Amino acid sequence: MTQTMAEGLVDTGHGGLIAQDWNQLTFRVNREAYRSAEVFQAERERIWNHNWLYLGHETEIPNKNDYKVRTLGGKPLIFVRGGDGVVRAFLNSCPHRGTVVCREEQGNARNFQCFYHAWTFNSSGKLSALPGDDAYAELERFKGTMDLRPVAKLDIHEGFVFVSFDPDVPPLLEHLGEAADVLSMAAEQSASGMTTLPGIQRYGVKGNWKLAVENAMDGYHFAPTHNTFVGYLRETGFPVTDDDQYAHDLGGGHSMLVLTGHNGRLGMIWEPRFGEAEKERTRLNREAMAERLGQERADAIGDASRILFVFPNLLFFDLEALTIRQLEPVAPGRTDVRAWQYVPVDEEPDVRAMRLKTMTSFVGPGGLATPDDIEAYEAVQRGIEASKGDTRGFNDWSDMSRGMERESKGEKGRSIDEGAMRSFWRHWDKALGKVSDATATEYGSGC
Amino acid sequence: MSAPTITVTRADAEDFLYQEAMLLDEWHLDAWLALFEEGGTFEVPTTDYKGWDRTGGGFFVLDDWDLLNARVKRLKSRKAHAENPHSRTHRMVSNVRLIQGAEGIEIKANFVINRFRDLTHHTYVGRYHHDVVQNEEGELKFVHRRAYLEHELLEHGARLSFIL
Repeated sequence: MTQTMAEGLVDTGHGGLIAQDWNQLTFRVNREAYRSAEVFQAERERIWNHNWLYLGHETEIPNKNDYKVRTLGGKPLIFVRGGDGVVRAFLNSCPHRGTVVCREEQGNARNFQCFYHAWTFNSSGKLSALPGDDAYAELERFKGTMDLRPVAKLDIHEGFVFVSFDPDVPPLLEHLGEAADVLSMAAEQSASGMTTLPGIQRYGVKGNWKLAVENAMDGYHFAPTHNTFVGYLRETGFPVTDDDQYAHDLGGGHSMLVLTGHNGRLGMIWEPRFGEAEKERTRLNREAMAERLGQERADAIGDASRILFVFPNLLFFDLEALTIRQLEPVAPGRTDVRAWQYVPVDEEPDVRAMRLKTMTSFVGPGGLATPDDIEAYEAVQRGIEASKGDTRGFNDWSDMSRGMERESKGEKGRSIDEGAMRSFWRHWDKALGKVSDATATEYGSGC
Repeated sequence: MSAPTITVTRADAEDFLYQEAMLLDEWHLDAWLALFEEGGTFEVPTTDYKGWDRTGGGFFVLDDWDLLNARVKRLKSRKAHAENPHSRTHRMVSNVRLIQGAEGIEIKANFVINRFRDLTHHTYVGRYHHDVVQNEEGELKFVHRRAYLEHELLEHGARLSFIL
């Protein structure tokens, strides 16, 4: 869709909610994208119901019959390793009358029994007991239609479990594209393998989910928003810099910041916060990695911090330590967040303690940095009420033009530009399409 | 650390916790930090906590002495955006128990903290379990300060940018 303006053609995307102007080198997002219930509903239907979604990590359910319940795209699910060792995901809803079958948060169970009429399913989803089954005609055929409903698709890459509610999505690896190897680079960090730890940070933010994506892909905010955290790092003898850092569009809505100026990485690149003992251990670890993976691969994995976004709901932070974050939109202005520590399986207790302390000091709602990010999402969500319905010029549009000139010349996008946000929004616009005439706001009508 | 004495009473523990609650509610953070022994720690595990130690699982807060100092310094700064302006907090501490054994002195208590900011209100409910010592002046000091949330999760907007 294009609209004509004084300065020339403006590409307003598929739904009129983004506007890029390659003459003026501006990129804008209509704020209805963060506020509108209609847009939210369309996202649920067109993005969440037709994409691969990150469900969890297979190390969360290491043993047969381990399970977790989890909600994705508003759908309550059971994430379970069957008695046969196979990882599956079922709708947490009884095929009989729809009751939530498993009302525990997590555990180990060979069977799930719906309390309402005592229908019982084994951990592989098979209906195993149907009380009073003599009242059903063609019992065996009937029972065969009453197993727990699996999600349409489930696939696993490097232990990262993705599901889709649409049977016709492309294969997972095709969806992940270049993001697949970034996850592999994390999974290869320890010869002993990597695992999630128990203890999920579960919190909610009063902001649209896309604000959380933008924030993670936005190196520009780091210095001002995290002023106190940068100050703390400086005092520990570790000044960070945003120079010479780049953002990468990985295609398919996925993007990545490579942060070479924030390079304290446990076991990879030493910084004073880690203490003297860690210096030698880091050197030995890098040597062992080079031997195991080859120098080139070991350096690629070890030499830079990375923040990866996998469209639409996974953020992966490979920084001082590693953390997985999942976004679950629950309303236009409300997002549920889950975050896991992702650690080497075999790690000395003092290093593990350092790892958890270091990551926790930064990320999460009790860290020294994430609360300021949350403040930013929430302050944006409140602030954009101000321009609602204001049709003058670009008053109701958020600006993401930073670095457009470099982008137009085909230069590498810096982490402190807004290119990774633009590639996300372009993909979002394509995936969503037009929502309605009401949300396809006219662009810059007052100009 | 001084040897455990038998001079500490539950009333002493209550006075200590009430004083602390007042200092936090009034944002006297330096005075609050002075309630710790040097080298003290502060922990808040995640809401699905199952008893793991500092190597075993997730936490919301896992401060050693350096981080505790950094947290206080940060919160005193106008650049701690999540707490500028400060939250208003109102703490109720109850069910105080004092346990004195060979290991030292433990204080357990329940808390309800009401927090107000941005015209919204959140309630934080949980338990304290602190290891404390009594110094030569007879004052109680935190060695390990722990706050356990009773919540299933932190609901929308209920971050832990203030001191729990």
